[in-house]
Amino acid sequence: MPASDLFLLAEVSEDFFRDRSGGGCIRENRLFCPGWVADNADRYVDPTLQHIVLVVSAVVAGFLIAFSLAVLAHRHRWLSSPFLAATGVLYTIPSISFFFLLLPITGRGAVTAIIALTAFTLQIIFRNMVTGLRNVPGEVTEAARGIGLTRKQLLWQVEIPLAMPEIIAGLRIATVSTVALATLAVFANGGGLGTEIVVGSNITFKTGIIVAGSIAVLMAILFDALLLLAGRMLAPWTRAAG
Amino acid sequence: MPVGDPDPESSAGSGAGGSPVRYENVSKQYPGSDAFAVHDLSLEIPAGEICVLVGPSGCGKTTAMRMANRTVEMTSGDILIGERSVRDGDPAKLRREIGYVIQQIGLFPHRTIAENIGTVPSLLGWDKGRIRERVSTLLELISLGPEFADRYPGQLSGGQQQRVGVARALAVDPPVMLMDEPFGAIDPINRSRLQNEFLRLQAEIRKTVLFVTHDVDEAIKMGDRIAVMKKGGELAQFATPTELLMEPADQFVEDFVGADRALKRLALIRVKNVHLWKAPVARAGDPTVPVRAAVESAEVPHAVMVDAENRPLGWLSARDLSGDVVPEVPDSAAEPLLDGEITLRDGLASLLASGSRYAVVTDGRGRLDGVLSIEIISEFLSSEEGSQVSIPAVDRAGI
Repeated sequence: MPASDLFLLAEVSEDFFRDRSGGGCIRENRLFCPGWVADNADRYVDPTLQHIVLVVSAVVAGFLIAFSLAVLAHRHRWLSSPFLAATGVLYTIPSISFFFLLLPITGRGAVTAIIALTAFTLQIIFRNMVTGLRNVPGEVTEAARGIGLTRKQLLWQVEIPLAMPEIIAGLRIATVSTVALATLAVFANGGGLGTEIVVGSNITFKTGIIVAGSIAVLMAILFDALLLLAGRMLAPWTRAAG
Repeated sequence: MPVGDPDPESSAGSGAGGSPVRYENVSKQYPGSDAFAVHDLSLEIPAGEICVLVGPSGCGKTTAMRMANRTVEMTSGDILIGERSVRDGDPAKLRREIGYVIQQIGLFPHRTIAENIGTVPSLLGWDKGRIRERVSTLLELISLGPEFADRYPGQLSGGQQQRVGVARALAVDPPVMLMDEPFGAIDPINRSRLQNEFLRLQAEIRKTVLFVTHDVDEAIKMGDRIAVMKKGGELAQFATPTELLMEPADQFVEDFVGADRALKRLALIRVKNVHLWKAPVARAGDPTVPVRAAVESAEVPHAVMVDAENRPLGWLSARDLSGDVVPEVPDSAAEPLLDGEITLRDGLASLLASGSRYAVVTDGRGRLDGVLSIEIISEFLSSEEGSQVSIPAVDRAGI
């Protein structure tokens, strides 16, 4: 497939240069034109929503998969290395290659992008969770067993809650990096803020790229803050101690 | 016995008492090893007693204890709690009916003190109100205020955490408790306090306790019976503390109990229970002549000045007695001053620390009871009485 096919969305409409502010900002090719942003704010709504869908779907799917893998690897220690290796390989595949590899199977679109993004989250979430489960103090599990918790109760009532800070830490890294990576979904025709960045990158006009990039950064900060908050609510004892 | 079903009306919250525990030829071999971790261990622990398993590290004492709640599975033999074999049924269910306290405590850091204590009750499906009631009873029992209920273990001191560990183990009023070096990680001062607290608690709740320690002194202090174990998981001796100190079964036990076992016997009796000497007694304003005469002939060559309530005020020196009447204030204070409730061992320690030959002993209300001297202690050790102290000389309720 010729690379140019990937840039289908990169068609620039006449509309793009409309500058109702009349300040001549575009004509002078300044770095940032606020007037243009005011006129064009609506064009970022859909890509932003798409971006959120991409990130949330990928992180949720990645979390569910990595969580199950980590629980399995915690129960059967020998599974830990192969899982780590497998998720590591997925993590190292360049994202654009990943889209190409998936094209014949899932075609072009958001699903392809989400599958690839999900694959990238696995390693971080898995590794953090396994570490979290391993860091549960031995005396706590011994006492739990000794007072009559079953294996399942030990996992759900003691080990997972105690691993929560590490699990959340993994989710935060995975989420922030997925917000960034999801800008590449445009190359799989998956939408998102990447569309606006690609549109912007074909021309010398910078404002569009800056706006799309800023939205992505804000989104990353917002998700991170939400997870931080969730972490505090799920692990109140970490702040009370000391 | 209605395990896990304590009488909620009971003020101590623990009326159930203990069940006897019987080890019948219990052995443990770990896979891939010919050596025994525990070999043919038979013990009979009457209900409501503390049995201490003591021995050097690697003697199998912890393994022996842990087979009772099946956190270690025995290779052969059987352990009976009451009439029931621990082998019957589900190990997790069994463990909920046996209190468990370990050295590192192992409280759940993510759960509040109330939730920690309520762990087993909620596993057993108690309703919330009943759990709350039980938790507040137990907090009271371990002398922690209700404000502790909502704190996290990380906010408590080591000693407080260990108390909570004991409360968690007692939550459903189990007839049997396993305690694995429960005070081993606590500093010496707090350890002694926690030991006394537990003995006081035990006098009330009368559980059957299996208590593991490597510390002979702790074993003597805590145990109604002591099982001394040696390498290879063999039982060297199973006896009361006095028997152990008086008649060690073999060289190993004798060495393990220590060359100072005579001194250890002092920990088994209270000062008030030995024959104290009488000192001449005088009050302010008494004529000195009869006092001087009494000092000449008394066991203790010093007179003790007391107040109207017979509480000691001080020692009267020769100068105090040189006048016509006893002065208002004696030359030296009534020191060392011992409470008759303390053990002879602590009494000796006080005498040695003060550099004095005599100590004034008072009864529970602070009144003069007699005088303790170094001679009394040495006579006690060499006497028939000393070698036949019947246990428990230190009655545990009142320590």
